[in-house]
Amino acid sequence: MRTAVIIPAFNEADALPGVLAGLARQNPDHDIVVVDDGSTDGTAIVARAAGATCLRLPFNLGIGGALRLGFRYAVEQGYDRAYQFDADGQHDASQVEALLAGLDDADMVIGSRFMGVRDYRVGRSRGMAMGLLRRLVRLICGQAFTDTSSGFRAFQRPVLELFAIEYPVEYMESVEALVLAVRRGFTVREVPVVMHDRAGGRASNRSLRLAYHFVRLLIVLVAGGTSRGRRAAS
Amino acid sequence: MTGQTHALLAGLTVVAVAVIVRLVRRQVLKAKYTVLWLTVGLVLAVTASVPTLLDRAADRLGIWYQPTLFMLLAIGFLMLLAMHFSYELSRMEKRIRALAEEVALLRGPEDENRRAPD
Repeated sequence: MRTAVIIPAFNEADALPGVLAGLARQNPDHDIVVVDDGSTDGTAIVARAAGATCLRLPFNLGIGGALRLGFRYAVEQGYDRAYQFDADGQHDASQVEALLAGLDDADMVIGSRFMGVRDYRVGRSRGMAMGLLRRLVRLICGQAFTDTSSGFRAFQRPVLELFAIEYPVEYMESVEALVLAVRRGFTVREVPVVMHDRAGGRASNRSLRLAYHFVRLLIVLVAGGTSRGRRAAS
Repeated sequence: MTGQTHALLAGLTVVAVAVIVRLVRRQVLKAKYTVLWLTVGLVLAVTASVPTLLDRAADRLGIWYQPTLFMLLAIGFLMLLAMHFSYELSRMEKRIRALAEEVALLRGPEDENRRAPD
């Protein structure tokens, strides 16, 4: 079984070496693919120095665009499964095994911070927004998820094939992706994982931007996701 | 309409048509926009040279204040145009994204030779 690790990275040269070393130590047989999303620091150089494959986008597409390229690469290179891992040190390589074990009876697995044993603190307004999203997602999917914004996720090949073509490209794409996968009839489940605070980079939580994307996401979800998704469901 | 406002409108129309003709002659517009703007120029020229035309049309439609008709048509047209541009922009953005992905794949995993522009 060939497994790819997809790491979208935008100006993460500082945190990346530690992340890659941790992954290589835990799972030496997984192939690491760093998608350099138009970085202006040495992200690509650092990634290649660590022995990872690095795909370089000519300019910044945002997390969704970078991920879609990673999925596409994984599909084209014939990988059986892949998982997404953050470049900023938020995710722990020791949790990968538990995440991948979830794929035994699911097409897509989400590593949830909130099913875990330890506490993970988020801001109040952010927490409220995430709570509202959770409820909406449960309504649409008919299934409860505790951590819809998690970027620690694993995918079987059929899901990769879907996401390689139509992965949502806007910010907070993980919620849209989750709904898309469920609508297409894939089984999605969560497993509890532990995450760190960020080692480098900047959390994207400027409130105005967040508020805009929150409203946009609500509209997109209520309107039935993508029109393609609606057609497939009907 | 007084003689002064008519002169003003005629002047503005001449300028607008001149800009349109210049753009078309330099062939910087796509064919469909050339047709679109030439039509707009023609409509403007006709309404400016036959000022009673709009007034009579407004009367027939029961519009008491005649310039409202012009405003209505202009705003409607501009709204449609703005929507069309939103559509075109969205489509272009999608294509540019796909191209960027293609570029990254074509560069391949080993390419070192260029940094991303700021």
